[in-house]
Amino acid sequence: MVAGDAMTLMALKSAAAGAVALAFGGAPLGVLMIARRLSLMGDALSHGILPGVAIAFILAGRDPVALTVGALTAGLIVAGLSSLLARTGKLPDDASFAIFYLSALALGVLLLGKMGKADEMEALLFGSTQALDAGGLALAGAAASATLIGLALFLRGVLGEGADPVFMKTLGARFGLSHLLLMLLLALNLVAGFRAFGALMTVALMTIPAAAARFWAKGYGGQAAWAVALSAVSGLLGLFLADVWGVEPGALMTLCAALLFGASAVAGTNGGLLQTRLMKAHLRGLKA
Amino acid sequence: MPQVRVDNLSVGYDRHPAVADLSGVFEDASLTAVVGPNGSGKSTLLKALAGHCKPLAGRIDLGGLKPSEIAYLPQAHGLDLKFPLTLQDLVGFGFIGKRGLFGALAKSDRERLRSLMVQVGLEGLERRPIGSVSGGQLQRALFARVMAQEARLVLLDEPFNGIDARAAEDLAQLMATWPGEGRTVIAVLHDLDLVRRLCPQSLVMARQAVAWGPTDKAIAPAQLVRARKLAENWNLADEPPAAVLQQEHV
Repeated sequence: MVAGDAMTLMALKSAAAGAVALAFGGAPLGVLMIARRLSLMGDALSHGILPGVAIAFILAGRDPVALTVGALTAGLIVAGLSSLLARTGKLPDDASFAIFYLSALALGVLLLGKMGKADEMEALLFGSTQALDAGGLALAGAAASATLIGLALFLRGVLGEGADPVFMKTLGARFGLSHLLLMLLLALNLVAGFRAFGALMTVALMTIPAAAARFWAKGYGGQAAWAVALSAVSGLLGLFLADVWGVEPGALMTLCAALLFGASAVAGTNGGLLQTRLMKAHLRGLKA
Repeated sequence: MPQVRVDNLSVGYDRHPAVADLSGVFEDASLTAVVGPNGSGKSTLLKALAGHCKPLAGRIDLGGLKPSEIAYLPQAHGLDLKFPLTLQDLVGFGFIGKRGLFGALAKSDRERLRSLMVQVGLEGLERRPIGSVSGGQLQRALFARVMAQEARLVLLDEPFNGIDARAAEDLAQLMATWPGEGRTVIAVLHDLDLVRRLCPQSLVMARQAVAWGPTDKAIAPAQLVRARKLAENWNLADEPPAAVLQQEHV
């Protein structure tokens, strides 16, 4: 953080607001992605946006609108192509995603390298809170709102297609509709988060808290609520520590999420380590 | 009145018909048991009726039923049991046909859901995750979902396999009431005692229909022996027999 104290405080405030918005938008999606075994899709998208960002950067410099549009376009292309390849059934889903996101990553690296902007790469993957201006914040808020509204409307379909695809097929539900929606919302949240917190760290704040939430709640609603709370806490704590230590927050936010995941895995009331241990000890007591 | 009619229906995989040249009618609001040896095409017939695979030849006339008016419980339920879903959520899917993918449940739906849970014996288990209940309890929930669907045509593929006897009996009794509510029920079943007790109509299959009609006549020992012999022949040659058996109308 290079600017004076007042600037830092402003940047910190908007980063905090951005982190909370991301928690509300990203974490409920993270729960769905984990439940549908699609957490790799987040990684795929986060790398997939790179060539789009690079091209936007080459054409329009640091223009935020161009960067956002470039990221969204590239992300949707990668997600669409991977899903199409996965649908052919020739390859497992994760392999389909890996092929496209690794290629996209390579393309992004090449484009930025050619421009002599390889150092931009770091900002793209790991973020820079200075980038979170009023427009960026508005986008983060819009992404969170769109996610919550979208999920409120489509949740039964999304859950149904994930949990019981045969049933949905019998109903004549058009396959892939909810998958498409999930991907769109994911891309939107990713694009909203990547400039401030970095593409990789944004995905981390979607999936790690969602994984931790599995140790606290059984149903989707409960898990989503836990994921939002854990994600927001990780984000704010990471920001605070980053401010104290004077580093960019993305990595610290992710590490905070990882710590909370560890704590959840141990202390969680839905199959956490302590609980299972205690139950085993209890059963041993019964036997003896 | 919608009835389900099949004409010269052949269904199969990779051009090997699992159902060959089947013709007949499932009457409206009837309960028909489909019985026959393994590999006789029972599950394939149900799958085709549910619209999950296309006939190789012949046709299926569902009497104008829409996909949302068909409830199909396949043999392997295909549920992802690790999905964060409660029994109540699962049964709630039954209203998708009526409310659409995006519509909220009406108050009347939620009341109906509650009474369905009681009816299938899952009172108090509404909030249990689908991965934490027994096979019998899961099947009770799936039956509740069938009822929530208000389907006109119900297709059940070995619905009582692998569940406890108590659940099987409860659910079988429930199934027997559905024709009275105007539903056409077609169920693949193994337990012939149950078939004789609860199913007025039976279809004995061995790729074609060996016998199709009132249960007491269709499930005669002679028909079952014929079905098994036919199936054994196919297992040897994996081809339909040269002399195509004449379907016996009983």
